[in-house]
Amino acid sequence: MIQFYEHFPVISVMGLFLAAFLVEIFGNKNKTIRYGISLIACLAAAAMTLYLIIPVFRDGKIISYWMGGWAPEGGYAFGIGYEIDGLGLFFGILTSITFLMSVIFSKRYMERDAHLGHYYTLFLMLAGSVLGLVFTGDVFNLFIMIEIMTFAAVALTAFRHGKHPEALEGAFKYLVLGSIGSSLTLLGVALLYLSTHTLNMAQISALLSSQGFKPTTLFAFAMMLSGLAVKSFVVPFHTPAADAYATAPASVSTLFSGMVNKAGIYGMIRLTYILFRVMDRESVMLLLALIGALTMFVGVTMALAQHDFKRLLAFHSISQIGYVLMSVGLGSVLGLYGGLFHALNHTLFKGLLFLTAGAVYYATGTTNLDKLGGLAKRMPATTACFLVGAFAISGIPPFNGFASKWLIYQAAYEKAVQSGNFVYVIITITALLVSVMTLASFIKVTSAAFLGQQPASLKEVKEVPFSMQLPMFIMSALCLICGLLYRPVLTYLVGPAVSAAMDPSAYIDTMMGSGYAITHGVLPSSMGFAMISAWDPRFWLLLFIIVTCAVTLVAVSDARTRGPVSLPQPGETDAKHATFFGGEKSTHSHVSGSDLFWGFKKDLKGYFHVIGDLHSGRTNDYALWVVLGVTVIMLFTFIFLS
Amino acid sequence: MILVNYIVSICLIALGLYVMCSKRELIKIVIGMGIMDYGINMLIVSIGFHENGTAPIYTLADIINGNLSFFVDPIPQALTLTSIVIGACVDAMALSLVIMIKRRYKTTDADEVRRLKG
Amino acid sequence: MPEFVSNLLNILLVALHVLVFPGLLFAAVGGLLLAGIDRKVLARMQRRVGPPIVQPFYDFFKLMGKETIIPAAARPGIYQAAPIIGMVSLSLMMLFFPIFGHSAAFATKADLIVILYLLTIPAVALIIGGSASGSPFAGVGISREMVVMLGYELPLVMVLLTVAKKVGGDTMTFALEDIAVWQLANGSLLFHWSMIPAAIAFLLIIPAEVGTQPFDVAEAETEICEGPLIEYSGAPLAIFKLNTAMKMFVMTALFQVLFLGGIDLGKYWLLGGAVLFVISAVLTVLCMTFIHAITARLKVEHLFKFYWTVVAGLALVSLVLVWFGL
Repeated sequence: MIQFYEHFPVISVMGLFLAAFLVEIFGNKNKTIRYGISLIACLAAAAMTLYLIIPVFRDGKIISYWMGGWAPEGGYAFGIGYEIDGLGLFFGILTSITFLMSVIFSKRYMERDAHLGHYYTLFLMLAGSVLGLVFTGDVFNLFIMIEIMTFAAVALTAFRHGKHPEALEGAFKYLVLGSIGSSLTLLGVALLYLSTHTLNMAQISALLSSQGFKPTTLFAFAMMLSGLAVKSFVVPFHTPAADAYATAPASVSTLFSGMVNKAGIYGMIRLTYILFRVMDRESVMLLLALIGALTMFVGVTMALAQHDFKRLLAFHSISQIGYVLMSVGLGSVLGLYGGLFHALNHTLFKGLLFLTAGAVYYATGTTNLDKLGGLAKRMPATTACFLVGAFAISGIPPFNGFASKWLIYQAAYEKAVQSGNFVYVIITITALLVSVMTLASFIKVTSAAFLGQQPASLKEVKEVPFSMQLPMFIMSALCLICGLLYRPVLTYLVGPAVSAAMDPSAYIDTMMGSGYAITHGVLPSSMGFAMISAWDPRFWLLLFIIVTCAVTLVAVSDARTRGPVSLPQPGETDAKHATFFGGEKSTHSHVSGSDLFWGFKKDLKGYFHVIGDLHSGRTNDYALWVVLGVTVIMLFTFIFLS
Repeated sequence: MILVNYIVSICLIALGLYVMCSKRELIKIVIGMGIMDYGINMLIVSIGFHENGTAPIYTLADIINGNLSFFVDPIPQALTLTSIVIGACVDAMALSLVIMIKRRYKTTDADEVRRLKG
Repeated sequence: MPEFVSNLLNILLVALHVLVFPGLLFAAVGGLLLAGIDRKVLARMQRRVGPPIVQPFYDFFKLMGKETIIPAAARPGIYQAAPIIGMVSLSLMMLFFPIFGHSAAFATKADLIVILYLLTIPAVALIIGGSASGSPFAGVGISREMVVMLGYELPLVMVLLTVAKKVGGDTMTFALEDIAVWQLANGSLLFHWSMIPAAIAFLLIIPAEVGTQPFDVAEAETEICEGPLIEYSGAPLAIFKLNTAMKMFVMTALFQVLFLGGIDLGKYWLLGGAVLFVISAVLTVLCMTFIHAITARLKVEHLFKFYWTVVAGLALVSLVLVWFGL
């Protein structure tokens, strides 16, 4: 008996694709139809995905769905199967949240652009492809979804080429590097087929653990890992990400950082934990952890040198993905908890930050930090949301970034202590240091764009409309909730995903018939883990007590000395409230973002010159980076895994 | 016999990557992408190839009895067809981007198409 | 309803912890006293008479009574909230310390990483507040404060990891109580020779964290007129000054917890602990004052280089030594 919800995954994916074509057919003229179809499709897909929480997370079921009823016969899977386990659904939830928020934001944000029919078509294709990617149980289907994803993402990057010709350049680089990544994935899929004669993930996993690793399988592993690494934009494959995120419309950048690079991370987790089950091979996993550490360091230092709001966010996106990959690469249960939780949090706070960048662009027409300033007065809601996002990404308690980073540090340090390998200590120190650099870089944005002095050109700026504020508020609230209630989130959302990744036997049995996993020798890994110390967010309730007392104290002390508090009213022009600097009345002299780190940059100018030159902007150089990265991954795989 | 296919396809992939890394002309980069795709397609077809294999029309009984070696494996052929279609789309997209870049940047030299850097 | 009453009592107890001991009031009084001692001793070292030790109290109350002027370019909400946020996080931090060598105010295991993050909040509050004032002097000040923060964070992280490894051994711990218990069993960490470089590094971090000479580049009165604080007046300024004093107190308390725990006083633990705490806090401040008295202000790039080479190097020496079981 098939339960009705077992149709939900395929309906949600197909519904998005169908809506994409409907928009193209009916929605090119009428904006109500166009937006209506998009919104309904997104709402329906998100609702169906979220409904799956009940059977998959609560009841621990795994949903399998064979396209056209082609169930496996004689122990061989021929058909294309969808299979939703905890890991897939976890990333499905991230995807749903992201595209839902982005489509609400898009309504007003994109209203000034032409050809919006194409925009929504591509938007829905992108959403559907990522959802399909995380739900599919077939490696070739995974490749197809990756290709659709890249294709839609590239076209969306170039969407505003009329106003910003750089968008074309960003799209081209993304396309070239993305197609190398897709080709590598395809190569890996083909070689995997060569050694196992099947494309079904569950069967591949079972066959690989019964037949062991051959050179072909190793080659396939290296190729698929590099291909997916290109898709998740980790160093040295990160270069197109910065260009594409920065030039795409902000609603699309939200999609990129919220789900497109998550799709790559999902693929890498699926590949290492379920298909090849190499999480106990410390040498290979160390490669992932090292790539992650390198990614977070390069990303954050590049972000320190940026002048453009969105490009800066793009480099931070890269850097935070480094955290996720590093934590996943630790190969421990605690590490996977931290990594997946951070992936969730990154979707929330980075999506939020890109939306605020979009709001700033909508209101001012620029994202250049050197031209912005003093927006807090004009855009209080956006500023508040930005501060929430900035504190969350820098890991300031009690926001969600703190909770997940704190798990990651624990996991990294635990690995260091258990393995006795000093490399993990360096990784831990890097992670802690990068967090401070992230904070510094967001302080720069805060003071350059939202605080500080207001340039004369921005006097008339207005707050963005409510339909743009709404997704920002929702995301901010989610950031706070995930930080304060991190234990329930870990138990009910992240926990099922972690157990799905650590123990694929149920995944294999659901797909291939029960007992298939045992006969092929797939054994579950141990799920035991211990957090070394506890952080209790209830302390932050105390914070409110102190805040109230402190505010009262200040107010009372003021009241005693001079009666009612004489705050300046808006529009009041008392000379004593005018700005004075050391006694002199000033003219405009805003300290712009680029001047904020010169002491730091001066001391490390060697590093900054080299890293700046390496990001040369030349497509060929970036292709060379990719080739080098692939070579390293291949060498590592063959030396340590065979 | 089949070894030649593998060698040639790997050479094509390497050639494609070499073109992408060394040629400054954007059109040539797109051609490099194409060459790499062809190499991979050739590899996939070769994976399914069997010496003296017949057309892939068979019944379930043949698979279960392990008579697969008499047939050319059909799945790689299906994969190749899909991959060729995707490759064509990507090339079309890339070329249209190059046309737009030529219009806006007045050049198709990768050395000059780099306003986004650092 | 007795349950209700006991809940109420619990809440009152917590409020007492937060507001009086070892939270706000304790840290504020202690911090202001330490600031007074610092000023007095500094004056004596420079052959001046110096202000009375309670002078910081007078300053604080005087400022509290002054009018608060908010410049037109400032964002009033953020401008006024910033000092209070800094004060809150500093009082909160005191709750995590196992003061007097035994147990913390709360039974949960406090945590080095939480402390590391809470330590950044006062600096962030100063930066955000300064930035909200809209003054270019504040802009220069916050950029320096940020570079200082980046500078001392690397050695601080290393020192904390060193302590965690030394105490935890092959199991791992970040809990401050474990550190206190370990020191009771094995003697103070300061007297383990492999930890001495880390202790020196930590002592060098304190002045940068607090912002005293020669590491006071962010406030540099003579160049940028107190940088982030330039526009502040009245009660917010008083709270910022109080924050500086509390930071001094918190950092000395942290030094005491990390390196000077573990002197077993038997049944006199309360009195003896208090005396030891005071003595070690004063000694730590005297180290700071001594450095203050004999040096002139560094340039910001020199400061950064100093922390990433000399201080981080000291911490690294300890980390490597401890890692190899010494």
